[in-house]
Amino acid sequence: MKKFAIALTCCLNFTVQAQIPAGYPADYAATVAAAEKEGKVVVYSSTDSTSTKPLLADFQALYPKIKVEYHDMNTTEIYSRFISENAANAGTADVLWSSSMDLQVKLVSDGNALTYVSPEAGKLPDWALWKNEAYGTTFEPIVFVYNKRLLQADEIPLTHADFTRILGAKADRFRNKVNSYDVEKSGLGFMLVTQDAMVSPAYWDLAKAMGAVSSRYQSSTGTMMERISSGENLLGYNLLGAYAFVKAKKDPAIGIVYPKDYTLVISRVMFVAKKARNPNAAKLWLDYILSRRGQTVMANQADLFALRADVEGETTAAGLTKQLGAALKPVRIGPELLNMLDPAKRLEFLKQWQQTAVGKK
Amino acid sequence: MTRTAVDPARSLTILLTAAAVLLPLGLVAWQSLLSAPFFMPDKSIGLDAFRFIFDDADFAGAFKNSLLLACGMAIIAVPLGGVLAFLMVRTDLPGRTLIEPLVMVPIFLSPLVLGFGYVVATGPVGFYTLWAQSLLGLSEAPWNVYAYSSIVVIAGLTHVPHVYLYTSTALRSLPSDLEEAARCAGAKPWQVALHVSLPMVLPALLYAGVLVFFLGFEVFGLVLVLGDPEGHLVLPTYLYKLTNKLGTPSYHLMAAVAVCIVGVTLPLVMLQRLLLKSANKYASIGGKGGRQRPLPLGAWRWPAAGVIAAWLAFSIFVPLSGLILRSFVSGWGEGVHLLEVLTVEHFRDVADSQTALNAIVNTVLIGVVGGALTVACYAAIGLAAHRRNDGWTRLLDYLVMLPRAVPGLLAGLAFLWVFLFFPPLAPLRTTIFSVWLAYSVVWLAYGMRLVSSALLQVAPELEEAARISGANRARSTRDVTLPLIRYGLLGSWLLMFLIFEREYSTGVYLLGPGTEVVGSMLVSLWGSGALDQVAALAVINVALVCVGLGLALRFGINLRH
Repeated sequence: MKKFAIALTCCLNFTVQAQIPAGYPADYAATVAAAEKEGKVVVYSSTDSTSTKPLLADFQALYPKIKVEYHDMNTTEIYSRFISENAANAGTADVLWSSSMDLQVKLVSDGNALTYVSPEAGKLPDWALWKNEAYGTTFEPIVFVYNKRLLQADEIPLTHADFTRILGAKADRFRNKVNSYDVEKSGLGFMLVTQDAMVSPAYWDLAKAMGAVSSRYQSSTGTMMERISSGENLLGYNLLGAYAFVKAKKDPAIGIVYPKDYTLVISRVMFVAKKARNPNAAKLWLDYILSRRGQTVMANQADLFALRADVEGETTAAGLTKQLGAALKPVRIGPELLNMLDPAKRLEFLKQWQQTAVGKK
Repeated sequence: MTRTAVDPARSLTILLTAAAVLLPLGLVAWQSLLSAPFFMPDKSIGLDAFRFIFDDADFAGAFKNSLLLACGMAIIAVPLGGVLAFLMVRTDLPGRTLIEPLVMVPIFLSPLVLGFGYVVATGPVGFYTLWAQSLLGLSEAPWNVYAYSSIVVIAGLTHVPHVYLYTSTALRSLPSDLEEAARCAGAKPWQVALHVSLPMVLPALLYAGVLVFFLGFEVFGLVLVLGDPEGHLVLPTYLYKLTNKLGTPSYHLMAAVAVCIVGVTLPLVMLQRLLLKSANKYASIGGKGGRQRPLPLGAWRWPAAGVIAAWLAFSIFVPLSGLILRSFVSGWGEGVHLLEVLTVEHFRDVADSQTALNAIVNTVLIGVVGGALTVACYAAIGLAAHRRNDGWTRLLDYLVMLPRAVPGLLAGLAFLWVFLFFPPLAPLRTTIFSVWLAYSVVWLAYGMRLVSSALLQVAPELEEAARISGANRARSTRDVTLPLIRYGLLGSWLLMFLIFEREYSTGVYLLGPGTEVVGSMLVSLWGSGALDQVAALAVINVALVCVGLGLALRFGINLRH
């Protein structure tokens, strides 16, 4: 009986070893075997399941014995659901993957993440990795979006300074016609303007110019782009490049500008939960997403921008770097992001934003 | 009657109802008094949450707006819904069976999508707007759909179907002999409606009014879409703001807002009880049978049809045509020639995605099967209060109104917490039962009131006759009361089906992969900016549900004869 068990283990090892991605350490086989025994990985993600379908299918092809239970929800829901389930010691996610960088960093800093050095870690830029716990997975530029049909060539801002200047010069033309995130309603919008204010001292001039033309602040990227496409609004500030890119492919009215002075870049943050019930499968999923294979699928089929420098194409970090070089300003994943989660600081910033960008006293 | 006997079935019903309502609500109330999530160790007790929202100018503004919205909705929807029901159920209005499924669209269509339909149709560059502009030779849009008054009117008109459902259900159970008598005596159709039909359905209309007013505090999607550009806040959108305003979701602030809305329900229930004090006078199904014959409208036929057509045009046709148009174009608005941008690609995208089709099937199943189970529970609760006017009945009256006081955003969390932290329910969290229970509890007042207003119509003499002939209470309920309130039960089933079709936020933390519903898909597509597919999916959904409803209503009408 014991002999048989040994033979079986050898046999399993053999099949498993065949699956280890090139360049991974030898003991990865044990992780794969354990993961296959777990049989599934539970992912809470803010990336909608339609765009991640190719990723899920490819992962399935790579590890047919591991099922991905993919829950797609918005960033606040991920946060609330995870902390509640965790507190109740109930089943919860093995992997959290969210575009809300600050909430993810908060969860990691509160000790919810498993420390794990991914074999792919060396391939990531240093801003995209924190404590060997939080991993950046994408490279998504923040852009201006404009209506190609209705805007003249000289009305298209190429830099943040242009944006301010054009609104000032043509206040009547742009009155009620500029939109951006309502930073009180959108956590992402809030993070972006705080980054703006850090990167560029001129941000508050821009905010003031936007306030002066009564810009329309909204809660969702989709409605902002829709209103720009229809001509109800002409110009959008701080929109998510990945979504605009998908929309522009289908809709000839949508124009995109990567600001030349600086382009903020955000990254969807992923971590393995400390109490994960399927920790090995979770590691495999994380490694896959960071792998060259996963990132190639991401850039070419999943409509997300790939982070790794060794993946080529228009929607990759490499492609954007060719175009913009040092103007790219990725938001660093790290404790700095916690600053603005402090309620007092946040309310103070909001007040300033209200007074400048909205004109509320 | 059996006032003194203890009825175990009744006690159990009341106990379960109280538990289902008070558990999530108790959690919310407790949370409002804390400084951090109740399950975290670093919390302290106090009134800081209330202090924060009372100091926040946004809260005051949102409360005022919500109150205005609620009043506006009741003022617009109650009379129109009543008239609509009278015309559709009682008269020989032309084409009434054809339009009945269409009337239901605003109940089951996600308000987010409904609002989006209005933007495409009547927004600043909407296609009706541009059309009217060029027709009238104006340089600016002739109306502003984002103005708060527009939002109130739209909300009012799109809640007419709720009132319609309550009133028509009550009217269906009534024999038409009294109306015919009035007509024979020379009364005009509107006099019949005002002096004969109206008093008989007053309880149903009153319930509908109270519920629509209350629903005014719950309107979220419509205001989020139409109110965003000009920054109009109502309580649910204020709550949405609170999730991000302080960085991490502020449950205690959200809970404090919910507690304030609960405060609004109490006087409403008191008012309702006061007005229905002498409930017996509304008993209109008596020992003397009668049948229904449509009332001939005569010369009033066409003006009546005109009123209905106008309402249909504005509340159904305008947003729906906007949505349908949007689902067939790649772009729209100022300077776009619609013929050049026509496409069926969005439908292909939706059809390609297996999840979308699963979602539609799941949703219909939850609506039909779950809805029927829910109505069975509501009927049990209604019977527990039937013909008894004791403290328990009073308690039930208050209980049923409470759950909807918690806006969807927070209700979803509250139910997640109940299933996480209440051990007996924990194993059921990941099953579809949890979603069903959450929906049934939240919409308790709405389905229950259809049943109770039907019960009010039943005169005691029939049940008494059964008891005198030797039937026990259970038998008289089964063989006399339940058959007599069948229209109430069917109406309640229809409403629950429609609400389950749309409902999403309450179940958001309980749904998982495999149990996708249309509501959650729409919201998730919305979040990723894929409004093309939102429009296409919504159009498919509306078409399927309308066809299904048309068939079902035919079937329902056949039951009558």
